[in-house]
Amino acid sequence: MKLKESAIILLITAAISVIGNFVGYKVSIIEAIPGILILVGIALLGIILADVIPGKIPSVAYIVTLSTILTVPGVPGSAIISGYVTKVNFLALATPILAYAGIYTGKNLDSLKKTGWRIVVLSIFVMVGTYIGSAVIADLILRMLGQI
Amino acid sequence: MKNVKLHIIALVLVVISEFIGTKSFAVGVGSIVLLPMLYAMVLGVFTTPKFLKIAKEKEMDDAGSLIGLTLMLLMAKYGTNIGPTLPQIIAASPALILQEFGNLGTVLLGVPLGVIVLGLKRETIGGAHSIAREPNVALIGDKYGLDSAEGQGVLGVYIVGTVFGTIFIGLMASFLAAYTPLHPYSLAMASGVGSASMMTAGVGSLVAMFPQMEEMITAFGATSNMLSGLDGLYMSLWLALPLSEWLYKKSYKIKYGELPVTPAAKEVK
Repeated sequence: MKLKESAIILLITAAISVIGNFVGYKVSIIEAIPGILILVGIALLGIILADVIPGKIPSVAYIVTLSTILTVPGVPGSAIISGYVTKVNFLALATPILAYAGIYTGKNLDSLKKTGWRIVVLSIFVMVGTYIGSAVIADLILRMLGQI
Repeated sequence: MKNVKLHIIALVLVVISEFIGTKSFAVGVGSIVLLPMLYAMVLGVFTTPKFLKIAKEKEMDDAGSLIGLTLMLLMAKYGTNIGPTLPQIIAASPALILQEFGNLGTVLLGVPLGVIVLGLKRETIGGAHSIAREPNVALIGDKYGLDSAEGQGVLGVYIVGTVFGTIFIGLMASFLAAYTPLHPYSLAMASGVGSASMMTAGVGSLVAMFPQMEEMITAFGATSNMLSGLDGLYMSLWLALPLSEWLYKKSYKIKYGELPVTPAAKEVK
């Protein structure tokens, strides 16, 4: 019954997302329902595929691949799917995730307290270094390719 | 899974956060963007036992077990942005692949700083070899053991990244977009270096600033994030860790005038 539980959680997240989508981005809940149900359907299909196809590929990989293929221009129905999914703002989908993540983060506060200040400073440099390193390389190559 | 209280807390947090909405603050020549998702995270922390005590131990545990699932709708949505932009993504693939080496920027900046300025020892190798997400923690655990100095380093950076990373990447994306000539597409790719929520905060800030580029920004961010998931472990194992070890010795020599005593590292199985 693992799949049923996953489906329930996905539907709860979907419900919270369309409410947030209405509050934050003024898209009526009725209008967002087809799009969010398409996303729930793709997510469930991805979970099922990860379960039945051998190779231990995580379901997220199937989900992104599926929704990419379904919306490539020219694929039958892609315009319809894109049209519905556009009604669901991606920022509205992110807010519930971070609400749960914030609640879970409460668990990490004790470990954070035990982490010395030097590691905290190091962490900041790690994030800045990785981010800027990637951005600078991406920028150089995109300019060389003439894409920006 | 039947924790109704948890879902109600999440719903209330989402409604409050979305009601406040995206705020941009003009700072100097640019502006810094604050997104509802960042409020939701901060407010979420405030509901926990250390603060308002609305969420209890059970809610925190259940929330942790749900995050993976709640991410899936967002991932499906990202795919629907990648599909229509697939030709451009493929055309940009050299940039997407090469920017993965930006991870080495971490080592070049983090290791000398950790050893010379902060006076850390082998914690630096664990902590500064990568942005310390789950695969990197697993790798260090396997190679040195998580109770070693290297393990303490990687766990420390992992915890700090978990608590502050999302907010930090969100702010950094908006700051760099406002104050540097780096293109939003490049910043979108860079936003994919860490976890999925870090990436979402990064691309979210960029989209708030450049709404007409939404599809490309989210598609680049999501693709880069998936690539990092695929290559992150090998990048660490084959490039970042050896480079960290080498740079650690150099930095140690500069700081203490002698080479470090060779530690008894656990053999890689």
